[in-house]
Amino acid sequence: MKFFYTLTKIDRRLIYLVLTALVILPFFLKFSIPQNIMPQTKKLFDFIERLSPEDNKAVLLSIDYTPQTMPECHPMAISILTHCFKKKIPVLGVSFDPQAPGLAIEAFNTVINNLNARAETNDDSIIYGRDYVYLGWKSGRIAALMEMGEKISTVFPRDYYNNYTDSLPLMERIKNYRDVSIAIILAAADYPQEWLMYAQARYGLKLGAGLTAVMAPKYYPFLQTGQLSGMMSGMKGAAEYENLLLTAGYTEKTGKAEIGMNSQTLIHLLIIILIIIGNIGYVATRRQSVKKQNG
Amino acid sequence: MSFDPWIWIAGFLTLMIFSFLYKDNPFYKFAEHLFVGVANGYYIVFYWHQALKPNLYEPLKAGEFIYIVPLLLGLLYFTRFIPKIGWLVRLPLGFMIGWGAGISIPANIQAFIFKQIEGTIVTPESFNMGWEGLWSLVILIGVICTVIYFFFSTEHRGLLKFGSRLGIVFIMLGFGASFGYTVMARVSLLIGRIQFILGPWLGLIK
Repeated sequence: MKFFYTLTKIDRRLIYLVLTALVILPFFLKFSIPQNIMPQTKKLFDFIERLSPEDNKAVLLSIDYTPQTMPECHPMAISILTHCFKKKIPVLGVSFDPQAPGLAIEAFNTVINNLNARAETNDDSIIYGRDYVYLGWKSGRIAALMEMGEKISTVFPRDYYNNYTDSLPLMERIKNYRDVSIAIILAAADYPQEWLMYAQARYGLKLGAGLTAVMAPKYYPFLQTGQLSGMMSGMKGAAEYENLLLTAGYTEKTGKAEIGMNSQTLIHLLIIILIIIGNIGYVATRRQSVKKQNG
Repeated sequence: MSFDPWIWIAGFLTLMIFSFLYKDNPFYKFAEHLFVGVANGYYIVFYWHQALKPNLYEPLKAGEFIYIVPLLLGLLYFTRFIPKIGWLVRLPLGFMIGWGAGISIPANIQAFIFKQIEGTIVTPESFNMGWEGLWSLVILIGVICTVIYFFFSTEHRGLLKFGSRLGIVFIMLGFGASFGYTVMARVSLLIGRIQFILGPWLGLIK
């Protein structure tokens, strides 16, 4: 009886210790737990894979995650940017979360520095204004989302670096949502909901999403109705996209999300075990206390 | 190991926050208060440079006096602090509610009600795609039973009772999925911090 009682009263600090150890372990013991690719991630990958520079359309990337959700969303941004730039698809970046611009710049710089370091000619390089533009942050996002369907440069007369938007070569052909093949929202809050309401319902813009795992269940119904053309869910979604890029030959190795997934799997196993132990202890001690009460 | 002092500060602050897992302590309190202060400072500076200055101050300075209208509407929010003229706050509130409702109601109906109802429609063609047909049927049953569970106008007896019971099963499956994803999200945050401590700070991993 004492044993079962102990099961229900494990010191939480001991649990934290085991949990931390299991997070750290996979970084030193080199092993890989195989991950399956979920259909929604594959759909998003395939959508971008079908795009061609000849379409003359850009991918609009709304980077709206915050520093605390970087482990989940930052690898997504890196993967999407790598995929687009390797395929020579122009990218238009925007942000509506006040914490996001610094992270967006970091994501762009990481990918561009990496690709430009290997570029041999000007055509191979990724150049600001020609291959990508980061428009920066805008307040009043609902009005902005609607107005961007008419003219993007009205909402963003200047880009993040204070250049006149209309003066940038890429913006000569990207005027509004009609010139955007898909908008991918990487968010740690309910921003995709507003894109669905104001950009898609009104202008028919195709949408994809990269969300924190907490948000993902809420957005599954939009995948089923086709309102979302694909979705990455949390760190797992990011790791899946990294694997898809690797398999397709766009990258030589996976990124931070894939490394984190080994720890993630171990922690999930630990939590399943703890739930089972806790329930066994609860059922056993409850039976005992009922017996005591009866007699 | 990093020689960047900012990385060291970030590393120590991370440990201070994690120290709460053992018990509440002055190091945790310090890091928490510092975070609140820094976050507020960031937002004030950010909103001035990114919102107020380009969207209000600079246009007014350039002689575009139409911007006085939104400025006055914004300032009316502060009348709440003066009880005698506190009623004036209703003007910007009325404007915002009117604009917000007008914009969001049709968009909500279109994006979340019509489209979602469309998603539950099962047609004979649904069954041409193998398992898709079966899943469409499961979604239809799930939606109907969940709605029945929240139908409180009649006592749940007979078919309604069966439907609401089945509805609970679907709701529980939803909660289970949410819990699983929440665990994944929270653990991801921990993994991110551990990656930072072991990588950029201590240099133990690449």
